[in-house]
Amino acid sequence: MKILPKFFSALCIVYVIVLLGACTQNKNDNASVTLKDSLKLPEGNEYATTDQSPMDISYFPKEFPQNKMSGTLLLQAPVARVIYSRPHKKGRPIFGIDEKNLCPYGKPWRLGANESTEIEFFMPVVINGKNVNAGRYVMYCIPHADKWIVVLNSNIDSWGLQIDPSKDILQAEVPVQKHIPALEDFTIVFESAGYGADLIMAWDEVKVSLPVTFSK
Amino acid sequence: MKRFMAIVLFLIAGLSGFAQSQLPPIDKSPLDISYYPDNYPVLKIQDKVEGPLMARVIYSRPQKNERIIFGNLIEYGKVWRLGANEATEVEFYVPVKINNVKIKKGRYSIFAIPNSDKWTLIINRENDTWGSFRYDLKKDIVRMEVPVQKQTEIAESFSLVFEKTKLGFNLAALWDDVKVTMPVYLQ
Repeated sequence: MKILPKFFSALCIVYVIVLLGACTQNKNDNASVTLKDSLKLPEGNEYATTDQSPMDISYFPKEFPQNKMSGTLLLQAPVARVIYSRPHKKGRPIFGIDEKNLCPYGKPWRLGANESTEIEFFMPVVINGKNVNAGRYVMYCIPHADKWIVVLNSNIDSWGLQIDPSKDILQAEVPVQKHIPALEDFTIVFESAGYGADLIMAWDEVKVSLPVTFSK
Repeated sequence: MKRFMAIVLFLIAGLSGFAQSQLPPIDKSPLDISYYPDNYPVLKIQDKVEGPLMARVIYSRPQKNERIIFGNLIEYGKVWRLGANEATEVEFYVPVKINNVKIKKGRYSIFAIPNSDKWTLIINRENDTWGSFRYDLKKDIVRMEVPVQKQTEIAESFSLVFEKTKLGFNLAALWDDVKVTMPVYLQ
């Protein structure tokens, strides 16, 4: 039994070295932030290569398609859905003051990767006191340290890098909340709320919540 | 023994730093979109669009992962969601014709019944659904039989793409060594 603690002590030291190594590795990556989130994976599929940042879809009510199958739905039709791509943190600084960060403060960000993030409302809703008609919109944001400005825009079916603010239809300011632990994959999801739903957007240690009002 | 437990706890605490919170993880079979005209959103911001957006398909992309796909993972003769996770969704932005049936613009689900030499492709009007578990024959808009075209190159990820044709476009489905195409005509 005397050898066992020694063995674990040694293992512990190796473990710490590995952890430190991982941190140093991340620091090196940070030095050269690259905008590779829209790249295709080197897979050699000649028809449609898979994306570095995979696409995903979030419904309200949450998991509408699954619940539609199991017959446990309270609503007959979904209220909203978001289609977005999910970049990974990969040790990079995400939100921050200057261009060393992937999403610098004050600069519009497409809330994802690849195509512009699309939000569709299947019924009229109210956001930030304004009526929003049923339909499809591009959604992007302007991140700041303490708040984000979330914007709905009518320039649908576009690629996210070039945002056209002349087609903005609504802006809403939402406070930044801490998200611990840091989130590796960018995530958009709806949560049920008394007035309708909160649209949660979270990545790294940042989370914002956009209230969406509608009658259920 | 106390020291041993302390070390074990330390190791567990270190590992849990990598764990995610309760928000949804990335899907094993990622979602993707294909457009017709191909790459439409990129062309749009580059001002290179030559015609209107006519169709898009939203689908999940399972991987082959060294498995035998058709006749095995995907059984012959059974309705398949043509992807993974949510049922595959096709949207037509213009009225089209498939197998001589006129189809209004809008969103539809698309399913397939694979067989060794031919597939049946199905356009169905039940949207926002998961898989083909509650596929409802009564909601079919059109069915079409198409031949299997064996490929020499293996597609690792399931792919749905549009191909330009003289009178419209094809929706092509590819996975493993199989390709099928569904001709879509503009009305």
